[in-house]
Amino acid sequence: MARALKKTGRAAEVARAPRAKGAERTVRAAARFAQAWIEPVAEDPEAVSALAVARGRLGAGRGLLGLRRMRVFELSGALPGRAALEGLLHRSIQFYNPAKERCTLRLAPGEALPIPAGEIGVLVVERGGERRSAAERWWRHETGSAAEIREGVAWALELAPGARAEAVADLAILRGREHGLLCNPHWQDARVATGKVPLPWFADQAGARAGAVARGGTRSGSATRARRAGSKPGAKTRGTASGRRER
Amino acid sequence: MSVRRSAARVAVVQLPGVNCEAETVRALSRVGLDSEVFRWTRPAAELERFQAYVLPGGFSYQDRVRAGALAAKDPLIESLAEAAERGKPVLGICNGAQVLVEAGLVPGGGGVEIALARNRMPDRSGYYARWVYVRVEETRCVFTSALEPGTVLPLPVAHGEGRFTARDPARVPALVRAGQAPLRYATARGAPARDFPANPNGSEAAVAAVCNEAGNLLAMMPHPERAQDAGALSRSIVGEWGAGGGGGGPGLALFEGLKRHLEEA
Repeated sequence: MARALKKTGRAAEVARAPRAKGAERTVRAAARFAQAWIEPVAEDPEAVSALAVARGRLGAGRGLLGLRRMRVFELSGALPGRAALEGLLHRSIQFYNPAKERCTLRLAPGEALPIPAGEIGVLVVERGGERRSAAERWWRHETGSAAEIREGVAWALELAPGARAEAVADLAILRGREHGLLCNPHWQDARVATGKVPLPWFADQAGARAGAVARGGTRSGSATRARRAGSKPGAKTRGTASGRRER
Repeated sequence: MSVRRSAARVAVVQLPGVNCEAETVRALSRVGLDSEVFRWTRPAAELERFQAYVLPGGFSYQDRVRAGALAAKDPLIESLAEAAERGKPVLGICNGAQVLVEAGLVPGGGGVEIALARNRMPDRSGYYARWVYVRVEETRCVFTSALEPGTVLPLPVAHGEGRFTARDPARVPALVRAGQAPLRYATARGAPARDFPANPNGSEAAVAAVCNEAGNLLAMMPHPERAQDAGALSRSIVGEWGAGGGGGGPGLALFEGLKRHLEEA
């Protein structure tokens, strides 16, 4: 049913309409990269489980107040304008299910993220396996132009005030039964963003990678940012997909 | 035909989402090992009274985060780690193998040393199910102890994340040289599998199973419990097992090895 709905109605109109407008051609030339942040509309069981396990079983987990998970697609190439991009992402099954998920599109580094200030973003990608060839084929078929499409998982970590910067690495990078969860470094890479999330993020070689994270290096003091967020240590806080907080 | 029963008792540990527990119990029973399903709701301390453990296949915790990632942190796994440290045998099949790898119990050199990564297959991706051949290698693994090195077994695989790999490209080949890869994907004649689909997931050095140094912990991706009936083998199988017929299938050899080890212990 969701698939049928996606093929009709407003979304399809949104996708078609901008192609006829001259103004869109300007945007089309400028938009070299785009990020689509996909998160569940309902509470995310995967993030709930990961948070519970991290808090209960990992040494650094006690400082973790909230955890959210998003799928991130990064598109590069000759991309259309925002409205057309949103329409294309909405109507394809390659990216997300609008009945269950929402999409936040980002075309410039300064644009808003679904990660609030004060939370730390950790992007986990499969090393050498982040390209989505089926999505790229669909894109070429639909738009007539090529785009590179990559997918990863972004985790938003809310840390307690005063949590050590090293806690991010200890939570993210799997080393043993009491250390790490989100990224198995033997086949995945992790990149951390404590400030602005780069665009592009996947191809950003300057971004903090797993090795740097494992040494405790982050781009800008995570503990400071966690304090700025006003979190209370030990509070039973759970981030939800909608951005609500349950205490 | 009656099978001599062993006094040993095996726990088939079922975490939420595991779905191969019943056929695993049946396979153990067919070789004469009594077992019971040990569910996640029971206290971990009760695992102590068993002599061996099997983590069957399935999708523990829905494969959330990564296959086996959350289960690896479960208190039951901590108890299994302690039991294995004392020499008790632990077999992880498919998802059970993913749990053992994510828990750092295999290869067991301290911490997590390898991964069971997403399959790498030409022109396709995702979950893949197929009958393959594995060749038994010369190792100290208790589960292959009933088999001569060089023996070829047809076994089914069914997984999306089954590629043995490590950040250090020398690590998996080193495990082979160290005698910690008791099963490797092969052709029907036993030659090393070089390409898909004989190597169904792109596993490095065609490794299908990894054990710890002592040989009592084994993480294997193929499903021996699904090959317990000779009559249920794929018609595509050739060689010794190609004739079909009745009786026990090739998968029982792994459980026979366990029984032999428990009787000798």
